[in-house]
Amino acid sequence: MKVSCLQENLSKGLSIVGRAVSPRSTLPVLSNVLLATEAGRLELSATNLEVGINCWIGAKVEEDGATTVPARTFIDLVNALPPEQVDMELVVQTQTLNLRAGRSEANVKGIDAQEFPLVPVPEGEGGISIEADALRTAISQVAFAAATDESRPILTGVLAKFEEDQLTLAAADGFRLSVRTIPLPQPVPDPFSIIIPARALVELGRISGEQEDPIIITITPTRNQVLFQLTDIVLVSQLIDGNFPDYRQIIPQDWMTRSVLDTAAFLKACKTALIFARDAAHITRMHVKPGSDLSPGHLVVSATSAETGDDVSELDANIEGEGVEIAFNVKYLIDLLSVIGTPQVALYTTTSSSPGVLRPVGDVDYTHVIMPMHLGR
Amino acid sequence: METASPTWNLVGHRWAVQFLRHAVDTDTVSHAYLFIGPANVGKMTLALALASALLCQNQTDAHTPCGTCRACRLVTAGHHPDLHIIESEQVGASLKIEQVRDLERQVALRPVEGRWRVAILSRFEEATISAANALLKTLEEPPPYVVIVVLTADASALLPTIVSRCQRVPLRPLPVALVREALVERWNVDAERADLLAHLSGGRVGWAVRQLEDKAAFQRRTHRLDDLDRLLAASMTERFRYAEKLARTSAAVQEILDLWLGWWRDVMLLAADENALLTNVDCRNMLQDHARRFGVKGSMDVLQALQQAVDRLNCNANPRLALEVLMLDLPR
Repeated sequence: MKVSCLQENLSKGLSIVGRAVSPRSTLPVLSNVLLATEAGRLELSATNLEVGINCWIGAKVEEDGATTVPARTFIDLVNALPPEQVDMELVVQTQTLNLRAGRSEANVKGIDAQEFPLVPVPEGEGGISIEADALRTAISQVAFAAATDESRPILTGVLAKFEEDQLTLAAADGFRLSVRTIPLPQPVPDPFSIIIPARALVELGRISGEQEDPIIITITPTRNQVLFQLTDIVLVSQLIDGNFPDYRQIIPQDWMTRSVLDTAAFLKACKTALIFARDAAHITRMHVKPGSDLSPGHLVVSATSAETGDDVSELDANIEGEGVEIAFNVKYLIDLLSVIGTPQVALYTTTSSSPGVLRPVGDVDYTHVIMPMHLGR
Repeated sequence: METASPTWNLVGHRWAVQFLRHAVDTDTVSHAYLFIGPANVGKMTLALALASALLCQNQTDAHTPCGTCRACRLVTAGHHPDLHIIESEQVGASLKIEQVRDLERQVALRPVEGRWRVAILSRFEEATISAANALLKTLEEPPPYVVIVVLTADASALLPTIVSRCQRVPLRPLPVALVREALVERWNVDAERADLLAHLSGGRVGWAVRQLEDKAAFQRRTHRLDDLDRLLAASMTERFRYAEKLARTSAAVQEILDLWLGWWRDVMLLAADENALLTNVDCRNMLQDHARRFGVKGSMDVLQALQQAVDRLNCNANPRLALEVLMLDLPR
């Protein structure tokens, strides 16, 4: 292998794939980055067998070939090189990669590319195209609700349901549920569902920051992986096997009280409540007080800690229905309010022991459900 | 070496291979197998062969691993992304719950390259109770693409709940002749050495091959047998000094006691029958000498004393005391 490229391009490419490197794996090759030549381009690839990222950068290929080099060493080295052209040549016999840039020269010892797990490539047409911005927003609104605890692997994933001209993303961890639908430009012929690890989607959200063209989604024929194609980048995620719990049953169909609040004010009240609630299992009380004809309604957010003290914030709210008192984990509220994206949010409640539903006002495609906590009296 | 053989390229264990091959052929692979057999008998080799058969890219009608494709090579090296080998850090350490949790997390994901994910849990008798319990859920109902192979020397040391969830595949020590033949044909060992190794191996090919790789092993054995002979004539002070020295090298104690057990077994057999089948075939003269001196009764007493020492050590007795008692029991 003999190839030349610009240091900036190489460094940028490595920063994209570097996140998928798994430094402490039983397979030594997984802590390496794959370098492979392709017509006029250099492919960089890394995988931790859950998420794999491939990235192509422009390069002048003199001789085809492939190898893998330790990611940490290689990334540190490339970042230390001067911003000039980098010439790389592989000594196949010893699997040593020789780098020259400006007046520096380095040799990096690698592992045979044959050992690197095969990364599936998107084949032909037939992918599902989706607007990058919409997908990124949906990921940020859903992925955080997935479980981080591994005891139920299925809940560490996000359900992606493709149905007609809609994609529904849903995640739940047993205490909260987040559901978002996004329109598809082209309807899918047959509806299907897959479960994607939340970590993979978060990574996709991160690397798609500059993406403007639509992202193309393909499922491998074996239904083992899902591929997200971006410009010059492909993210491959292993799928989680199993049946996702039927989340629609969790969303309450009716409500007794609907409170419309200012998102920013609500978020600020929650952040203040967190100061005390963090010592009391994050319990924060919401007291919904309907207004009369003359005065507006109020929502009173309060938190109490036996050790550090307590606080009460009163918010103006537009309230329909009866008054109610309910407690939530304030961290969940903060997570949600930080990503909801509309100036106003509606809180739907029934009793103090039934789940609360939060929806952005003016956006019907997003629903968030939070289980209540004990009021503790 | 022949490739794509119907025996999966294994030495012996014919029925086990046939049984597993039939399962692969008819697509009735069980979700979990338990391979039971003494150390170095071929459990891991068989488990890897099963993994190859499932993951091989050149699937022929006979479902035999080709041994040459990328998947087969990676499986043999233990580097296949769909193969998970879990074991304690070293023999005698324990297999921890984190390792099992990690495995559970990985098998929840669909396979990377092939149709299957194969998890091999080696020396599972070393698993902590909590690790074994953590495996139960996955073992009972793994995802459809997962095959779990549990390897153990002693099924009675596992939780009954683990054993009952697996198909048992007992592997017995191989006939000496088969080991000898394999050593000559596959590892190009000369006939005389192969004969001795086959006898000493107790039907465990892996043990014999390890001896081949470890050049000093044979010398160690000679030394230890010399020690044994010397101790029989030695004074109590000398014997106790030896016990003290031995007690400090805990790793070697088990090996030495095993070797001595084999030796006294030979002595006893020889005392009873001139033409008995021996293990230490190369030392017939010294064996005959001992057999004459101690007879059946004497050698049986030594065997009992040795076995007692082994049992005591297994029960965490003070090694030095246990060995000193053994020294007192050795005849003169």
